[in-house]
Amino acid sequence: MWRYLFKRFLLMFPTLLGVAVVVFLLIRIIPGDVVELRMAGDRGAVSEEILQQERTRFGLDRPVWEQFLTWMAGVVRLDFGTSMWTGAPIWEEIRLRFALSLQVAVMATTVAVLLAIPLGVIAALKQDTWVDYAVRIFSIAGLATPSFWLGIVFILVLLVVFKWLPPMVYTPFWVDPWQNLQQLIWPALAVGYRYSAVATRMTRSAMLEVLREDYIRTARAKGLWQKLILWRHAIKNAMLPVMAVVAVEFAFLIGGLVVTEQVFNLNGLGLLFVQAVAHRDYTLIQALVMLVSGVFIVVNFALDIMYAWLDPRIRYR
Amino acid sequence: MGTLLSVEGLVTQFITSSGVVRAVDGVTWDVEEGETVALVGESGCGKSVSALSIMRLVAEPAGRIVAGRILFKGRDLLQLSEEGMRRVRGREIGMVFQEPMTSLNPVLTIGRQLTEGLEIHLGMSPTDARARAVELLGLVGIPDAARRLRQYPHQFSGGMRQRMVIAMALACEPSLVLADEPTTALDVTIQAQILELMKSLSRRLGVAMLIITHNLGVVARYADRVNVMYAGRIIERASARELYAHPRHPYTLGLLRSVPRLDEPIRARLDPIEGQPPDLTRLPRGCAFVPRCAFRTDRCIVERPDLRPLNGAEHVAACWEVERVAVGGCPKVAMA
Repeated sequence: MWRYLFKRFLLMFPTLLGVAVVVFLLIRIIPGDVVELRMAGDRGAVSEEILQQERTRFGLDRPVWEQFLTWMAGVVRLDFGTSMWTGAPIWEEIRLRFALSLQVAVMATTVAVLLAIPLGVIAALKQDTWVDYAVRIFSIAGLATPSFWLGIVFILVLLVVFKWLPPMVYTPFWVDPWQNLQQLIWPALAVGYRYSAVATRMTRSAMLEVLREDYIRTARAKGLWQKLILWRHAIKNAMLPVMAVVAVEFAFLIGGLVVTEQVFNLNGLGLLFVQAVAHRDYTLIQALVMLVSGVFIVVNFALDIMYAWLDPRIRYR
Repeated sequence: MGTLLSVEGLVTQFITSSGVVRAVDGVTWDVEEGETVALVGESGCGKSVSALSIMRLVAEPAGRIVAGRILFKGRDLLQLSEEGMRRVRGREIGMVFQEPMTSLNPVLTIGRQLTEGLEIHLGMSPTDARARAVELLGLVGIPDAARRLRQYPHQFSGGMRQRMVIAMALACEPSLVLADEPTTALDVTIQAQILELMKSLSRRLGVAMLIITHNLGVVARYADRVNVMYAGRIIERASARELYAHPRHPYTLGLLRSVPRLDEPIRARLDPIEGQPPDLTRLPRGCAFVPRCAFRTDRCIVERPDLRPLNGAEHVAACWEVERVAVGGCPKVAMA
């Protein structure tokens, strides 16, 4: 198992390098650069000479490979440079927003897993009864409802019915947990519902498949209690595909909540991403893409570990 | 010795989109204590469903036991509560399944799967159950048991897994083991080992066995009595010796002629039974074997024969033409 995991661990680095190359090149294909955009309001008034001066300041006049190497030299020291737009260190720009996005993602995942696993298991056990239909309607509705729309509904209901508005200014968890949770529980619920819908359906179908397996029949023929068959024999097997879905969805949440963040007035990575691209803020975009893909890769690695832990056929390879 | 299990008029049906499948259609048979009984027939003749019905493990809601009684040690298993039935499964009746590759849980250790029944049925402590598990693996001929218990099914070969499944079935010292095609998925050499193992264990432990198989070679060697099934019904029953010497149903005769035999001169070719088993959703009014039968008469088409005793009550067959089958052997008549 250790060899397997070590191999998996080493594979993370070439993947990240690939991401770095691709994002670095792609971002430079988009027409326009940060210098042009910053000076855009003054077009005409700014001479070509000044634009060139600015480009030299950012090193944009150098050959692409040289720019790349300079950037990579920083990246390996975890120094992502400064934002081309604001001039602030990248780490400063990202730090708080990452904490926020990560927290929302963790909370939404918790909501989703707590909903999906019991619902999916019950639906599978009561297949084709009203319980199953209710769960399926609930999860189809979750797939069909955009999170941002649900978010708007949450805010409206809180405001109109309860005459209460969740805090609109972000307070980090470590400053005031109560204040923090009051704000973030709503986006977590809005996003978590959709997320749970995917996971519920996966749990249900995985359970149905496992319950038809020969080893479940063997377990029943041994005269085990129904509950023990479920917990010991079925769930562990059914969880493998569910974990994969949950993991991919979690990684997506880190950078993908652009609209939902707007609805709840959250200053998360999603919004920062959009702004960075709009500004052609190369350093910031590069750092963000590396961060999000880093999350994807780490989550996948964690998934590999969990798979190995759950499934001995992987562990002993 | 008394009767351990007696199945009376069992009817098990499956409701499918193409109609009601009469998988087991009113069968009656029994198993004496310590005896080995075989249930023989082609695929889909209702052998496995019979065994699953005894365990009440027929896949619901499509499958349903419609009628009959299953008396085990005097109690009707069909009348037991689900909890009452659970206490019988694994404790009093063990089951060995066909596919050792899929009938063990891939994510649980061999030890876990072997000890759980002991803990539940016999209330053993984990330590005692483990000691017993080591003993059981030894019993079924798996060496190095202590280490093996920590392994997972995928680290076992097919034959080893089936030994493990047998150990599981025997764990709580049941009085009956149902073996559903226990060797079909294994290599021929392993098949013989497994069957020898089962036979010797059943003798040593005094366990009665029901062997379900389509392999008449297995029957000849290991069974005391044989029930031949066709299209959900039993069409002939006799002691193994009697059945081989004097088959009285054309189907049994056909089965025997379709296996190579080492005790007879070599024939150039085997005679398979032509045709296909009937559609169980649309059974004919008369004998279900009619379309494939070389002895058929007009009576066979309109009237279904029941099991009738022949010379001695131990041999019964469901055929109108038993006399001709007995005298003439199989006429080489081209099938329609």
